[in-house]
Amino acid sequence: MAIFVTRHPSLATWLWAAGAGLLFAVAPGVRAQQNGVQHANNFTSTEYYEPPHQQQIKSTLSGAEALPQPGGLLIVKQLKLEMFNPDGKLEWVVIAPECVYDTFKGVANSPGHLEVRTGDGKFRVEGEGFLWRQSDSFLTISNNVRTVVENGALTNTKP
Amino acid sequence: MKRLSLIVIAVWCGWMVHAQTNATAPGAPASATTNSPDAPRPSRAPTRIDSDSADFDLNGHQAIYRGHVRVDDPEMKLTCALLVADVPPAGGRPNRIVAETNVVIDFTDARGQTNHTTSDKAVYIYNVQNGVTNEMVTLTGNPQPRMENAQGIQVGDVIIWDRANNKIHFDNPHMISPQNPNGTTADTNSAAVTNPPPAQTNLPSGTVQYNDFPVRVR
Repeated sequence: MAIFVTRHPSLATWLWAAGAGLLFAVAPGVRAQQNGVQHANNFTSTEYYEPPHQQQIKSTLSGAEALPQPGGLLIVKQLKLEMFNPDGKLEWVVIAPECVYDTFKGVANSPGHLEVRTGDGKFRVEGEGFLWRQSDSFLTISNNVRTVVENGALTNTKP
Repeated sequence: MKRLSLIVIAVWCGWMVHAQTNATAPGAPASATTNSPDAPRPSRAPTRIDSDSADFDLNGHQAIYRGHVRVDDPEMKLTCALLVADVPPAGGRPNRIVAETNVVIDFTDARGQTNHTTSDKAVYIYNVQNGVTNEMVTLTGNPQPRMENAQGIQVGDVIIWDRANNKIHFDNPHMISPQNPNGTTADTNSAAVTNPPPAQTNLPSGTVQYNDFPVRVR
């Protein structure tokens, strides 16, 4: 069952991982704790485009577990973020077995694995350890970065 | 994140692969141009880019690969310490890629000949102006950039690889004897020192046809 958690309505504008993912959306019936974040299992959060594409899903974020920690930290397990273009085409998939999201600083990080791939799978990058800084949309993959570009990913690109 | 794809998609396979298809046939007039048809291309193995770490600046439209950067493409191998790729905000191919520090590029040219280049820095520029594709790789640095192939070792202050026109330009070109690969001696007045042959038709001085290097023996 999806449980939506939030700290503050402004979270709805927090972008994650690709500048497009909503970590936790404001939802009706949200049960807020003191710091506004509570435990959640098997959650899914969906963000929609703004008008005129308000019927189109912009991103979905799912996870097996979200564990609030002191200091505004949130441990997210089995994170999966999918981002779509306004036509509904899957553009990006971000997967991390576990990460820590600092709800105050807008920073996500993990010493673990990160995988990012395009919807068609033609481009994939993965590595160990990452830091996502929301304020300036900056992603660092710290170790063992491996990128694969499949045939056709470039050749279909026109100048 | 879209930038991320555009960056990496085009990073080095764009450098080496696309222009291969743009290249004029060996022996074609040097003034032949460049625009490639959008013909389907045969299947090829993936391009792999490995590095110790990487930064993706999505606002600045830039990807930075750091440490033991290795690009493994079916048609070329590249290693360097730092690789920076800029991508236009509107998307598309990267218009500038810079590889720095101990840049080594091994590639197979249109004739199937292997080439080995070394330089401090390699700068790839790509743009399209008035429907004409410009695609250049400029090798610079100290020691001088060099290119080695079956013809020998050629060095120059600057090596400009005009991939769109399939030409290579050497500034202050000279050839290093295989017996003296460091090029530290033998810059003599002996009879072995020759003047470069006349410039080829329609080519500026110092410009040579691909893999046909009229260079001075040093």
